[in-house]
Amino acid sequence: MLFLHETHLVDGYHEDAFEAAFREHWMPTLAEGDDARLLWYCNLAHGSTWSYRVVTVTAVRDGAAYERLARRIQQGDLQDWMRELDTYRHDAHGKVLVPLPWSPLADLELASVPGGGVDRDPVVYMQDTMWPYEGKFLDYIEASGSVYSKSLAHRDTGAPRFLDIEAGFQPAFGSHLRREVVLMQRILDVDRLQHLLMTDIPPEMRAPGTWMHDALSLRDRWESLLLRTARWSPAPLDLGEVA
Amino acid sequence: MLFVHETHQVVGAQEDEFESLFRERWMPTLAEGDDARLLWYMHHAHGSGPAYHVVTITGVRDGAAWERLDQRLRTGDLREWVQAVDACRHDVTAKVMLPVHWSPIQEVDFAGVPTDGREHELHLFMEDTGWPTSSLDEYIQAWDDIYRQPLLRYADDMRAIPIDIQACFQNAHGSSVRREAMLWQWIPDPATVTHLIATDLPIERREPGTYMYDALAFRDQWRSRLLRTAAWSPLY
Repeated sequence: MLFLHETHLVDGYHEDAFEAAFREHWMPTLAEGDDARLLWYCNLAHGSTWSYRVVTVTAVRDGAAYERLARRIQQGDLQDWMRELDTYRHDAHGKVLVPLPWSPLADLELASVPGGGVDRDPVVYMQDTMWPYEGKFLDYIEASGSVYSKSLAHRDTGAPRFLDIEAGFQPAFGSHLRREVVLMQRILDVDRLQHLLMTDIPPEMRAPGTWMHDALSLRDRWESLLLRTARWSPAPLDLGEVA
Repeated sequence: MLFVHETHQVVGAQEDEFESLFRERWMPTLAEGDDARLLWYMHHAHGSGPAYHVVTITGVRDGAAWERLDQRLRTGDLREWVQAVDACRHDVTAKVMLPVHWSPIQEVDFAGVPTDGREHELHLFMEDTGWPTSSLDEYIQAWDDIYRQPLLRYADDMRAIPIDIQACFQNAHGSSVRREAMLWQWIPDPATVTHLIATDLPIERREPGTYMYDALAFRDQWRSRLLRTAAWSPLY
């Protein structure tokens, strides 16, 4: 399974038309076939980073399906639609991602993805993109699964979970950068996001033996983006009613 | 056919080892199967851009072959090879490309691609990457209408071609930037480039009706890179 991750630099005047194009054309058109499904349609929360940015993630069955989709856009039935979409955005930055070995989301039954969207309250994600040090890429992939993802469960303290990693990705061969990891983390308790924003990390949470400390041997560059799903976004997949 | 374009930021002290890994492992390993071939191995000419950058283009038969290659690199027989490559480069940026409809190169016959490292004279390429303000489709078409076709007519008249456009690519959907296309151009006579670098463009070459003027309707942002084939690069 491949995942097309796109960051769209939307023309502010046309944000509604842009969203409608995905909701009323891309999502249902993909749902007519077996090759791909739109999963996430997310707005970057204004006030937290760049303005008028939209992140979409489209699941694609395999490499052959990816090539068919790319050719439909280049010269097939989706060419005109894509051309119109381009008038609603300044540009789009894409990358083809594959699941990390430990990713909860790896293979997906495409038929289970609501092709008509849903209607529910927005869900907030923290999308973390990490760039491990040279020579530490594979070590970071391993540690993020064996240490970081498990630390989020708070099994030792019994505290409620703040984040749930729904997927972990790395770029496929030939797309974007080699040394990058992307985590799609659903924020389970938005109130605790405020705590995270307003509170210094105490020394004991940065001491040797903690992820914050020990992971510095693998990377010290990452970027968090706060994404809010559209009400109709098919993902997350385990919430809401099919419209 | 898909074309995987990679720009490698090579560790200067490891440049020979990096090149050997492609010449002695990547090229022959791909040649054992039918999925892919290394096509071009190019040095970004020192003095014309960032140092120690290498550009490779690997031809991949189709999407299924590309997925197989990705899996071999992540979890299969090429995993150790790519780790060795990673040790010789700071990073790599990549994109999967498709030939545009008028590109002279659409498919590459893998049977005709040398895989034995045979050497040849060095060739200079100008890789032009453009980011249009017009629609991408219009930009791609304009490259053919107002750039390539006049070049071909000029070549017919002069019995020589200053710039040989071997291919034109756009990024496969979702692989990189959407609004981007690339010209892959062999410069038969390097003096063409030095003349271009050392000479102001006269006003009559920038007036309405010229390519330099008319192309501004489609874009004003592009980047040229001067790439020199390795002596053993399969295509040149």
